[in-house]
Amino acid sequence: MSIYKRFVLIFVILLLFAVYSYASIEESKPEMEHRMITLILQLAVIVITVRIFGVIFRRYLKQPGVLGELFAGFVIGPYALGSIILPILNQPLFPKLGTVLPVTPELYGIAVIASIVLLFMAGLETDLPTFLRFSFVGSIVGLGGVILSFFLGDMIAVLLLPNVDSFMAPAALFLGTLSTATSVGITARVLSEIRKMSSPEGVTILAGAVLDDVLGIVILAVVVGISRLGLSGAGVDWGKIGLIALKAFGFWVICTGLGIVFATRLTRWLKWIKSPDAIAGVSLGFALFLAGLAEMAGLAMIIGAYIMGLSLSQTDMADELRNRLHGVYQFLVPIFFCVMGMMVNFSAMKGIIIFGLIYTLFAILGKILGCGIPAYIMGFNLKGAFRVGAGMLPRGEVTLIIAGIGLSTGAIGQDMFGVAVVTLLVASIIAPPILVKSFEGGNGLRNENLLKKEEKGCQIKLEFPSVHIASFICSRILQAFRNEEFFVHRLNIEGQIYHIKKEDIFITLIQRDKTIELNTSTENKHLVSLIVLEEILELKELLEAVHKLKSPEYLYTELATGLFSEDEE
Amino acid sequence: MNLRKLLSKDNIFLDLKSNTKEEIIEEIIDRLVASGKIKDRNAALKAILERERKMSTGMENGIALPHGKNNSVDKLITAIAVKKEGVDFDSIDKKPAKIFVLTLSPLNRTGPHIQFLAETSKLLRDSETREKVLSAKTPKEIIRLFNE
Repeated sequence: MSIYKRFVLIFVILLLFAVYSYASIEESKPEMEHRMITLILQLAVIVITVRIFGVIFRRYLKQPGVLGELFAGFVIGPYALGSIILPILNQPLFPKLGTVLPVTPELYGIAVIASIVLLFMAGLETDLPTFLRFSFVGSIVGLGGVILSFFLGDMIAVLLLPNVDSFMAPAALFLGTLSTATSVGITARVLSEIRKMSSPEGVTILAGAVLDDVLGIVILAVVVGISRLGLSGAGVDWGKIGLIALKAFGFWVICTGLGIVFATRLTRWLKWIKSPDAIAGVSLGFALFLAGLAEMAGLAMIIGAYIMGLSLSQTDMADELRNRLHGVYQFLVPIFFCVMGMMVNFSAMKGIIIFGLIYTLFAILGKILGCGIPAYIMGFNLKGAFRVGAGMLPRGEVTLIIAGIGLSTGAIGQDMFGVAVVTLLVASIIAPPILVKSFEGGNGLRNENLLKKEEKGCQIKLEFPSVHIASFICSRILQAFRNEEFFVHRLNIEGQIYHIKKEDIFITLIQRDKTIELNTSTENKHLVSLIVLEEILELKELLEAVHKLKSPEYLYTELATGLFSEDEE
Repeated sequence: MNLRKLLSKDNIFLDLKSNTKEEIIEEIIDRLVASGKIKDRNAALKAILERERKMSTGMENGIALPHGKNNSVDKLITAIAVKKEGVDFDSIDKKPAKIFVLTLSPLNRTGPHIQFLAETSKLLRDSETREKVLSAKTPKEIIRLFNE
């Protein structure tokens, strides 16, 4: 029996056993225990299913694992298999609830915690130095994309939805906000695969996406405030809207400003704790605290979490925090995507399929034109401008969180939630092939002078005899930069791309199988060469030291002797 | 990087006397010991020579960057030294080395150590700067030159 079949069989047995235990306990347990048992069983099924779907999507469909997790939600959710009454259970595992949200409050609560962790990590990963370095072109591009996407998303809702009559209606505002957020992870992966990460288009996309995230979240803060006002029955009162926008923006600016100013002091205080795990725990606690404060201030929780992450992102602890919290992230975030998938009710979308398609089309146009036109004006040619626009296409977690908030506050219905998820799926699936195709052919710059500074770089490329040696040297080089007090930032968790920064020195390190590639400006070639040189010497010495050991054959024989003899003690 | 903080008249030596690679390194270390920057002379010397044994730090155009790591120092120690006539330093371009940028840094302690070497050698890439270093009469001139 293959390992996969065995795995599926174990999963089915576990599921049946869980369902059976659940059924036998169900009648005798009081309400609270009953709810907890339901939650635990739901989590068990979710945690295992998302992993299976994640692997299938990554390995066989060559799509991001996130889409698989979302898809797992469709399949096991209350609108699909989850609604089937299980014979032993006498009820579905994921029953359709008559409330605004189709999942239990407990499960939704876990998804909310996951979204806070997700945004805290997104904040921690924000690459402010890259943004600042390429900020001029990047901000214009990011801003263009956000403004046009928001406008088109909102306008489509006003024009096509019968119950939306004003640009300021909560549903319209949410649909506008939904189409603003870019998920740069997918683009970063594609760019690194086709080796265009440090191209003028690549750096512009990465810088633009930072602004995009920040602006998307500021807009969300304002939109949540306005929609709450709208839902409480008041008409469009510009004075109040202005006040809310000011409050949201004020909260954002003050908290981010305070966060960045006090981050070093906070870090010093946190370091007093000494245990890295305790530091990570306390930091996450602060993120939860600020998330709660943001919600109390009438904004969304994720804004607080993002601000906390952003504040700590430039401290020397950021990398350590990311590493320590990686496990929590890996466990919780797939649950979030799965729960979001569960909330998609395809039958509620029947009447608005055409609307969904038009909305998706405009969401794509919003980014291609919104980012492409400013890119063209800033000196890219048509080809380059299209590449920048295509790079900003993928939508991701922020879109889902915004949609989730819209659904839970009642600003959008299940139909629009479905539209948001479909847009995300379409944009994220079509973006990689478009991006790869668009990078075929020549130069994307019309005005060579514009990005001259970034272009005048040097590349150090080293090839090693095996992947293991390359990985070893890669980790040594990164550690050497850290020892030199550089800030090393891994661009995405799945790939081997690092940004290495200190003051105005900016280096990109990419490991691809047996090769290590370092890109930097000609000015910093000395530094990079000297650091790499020292590490190569260390490797040479290490290899010499290995030779001085007893001969490998002797060690092998010594270790292998007795493994299969019976007279072992 | 602020080179001014790391350079002073106590670690700029413009009149080296020695005539071989080892002696040059020894002389710089001895002068740093004399100015109180290094406590354990032999440990410091061993660290620098050990690094030279792995591969010479003689670069091109008369520049050499002898350096090492050792716990005989508790912070980055730097020196810039000149031997106008040059000595054979087993350099990449086989030319004699005339300008020496030496660093000694503690093991397992973070700090901009290699960066100091990189920043200085970046400045020395310019032939005019190299000439100015070679013709400098006082450490002050070197400090001024490196902070221009």
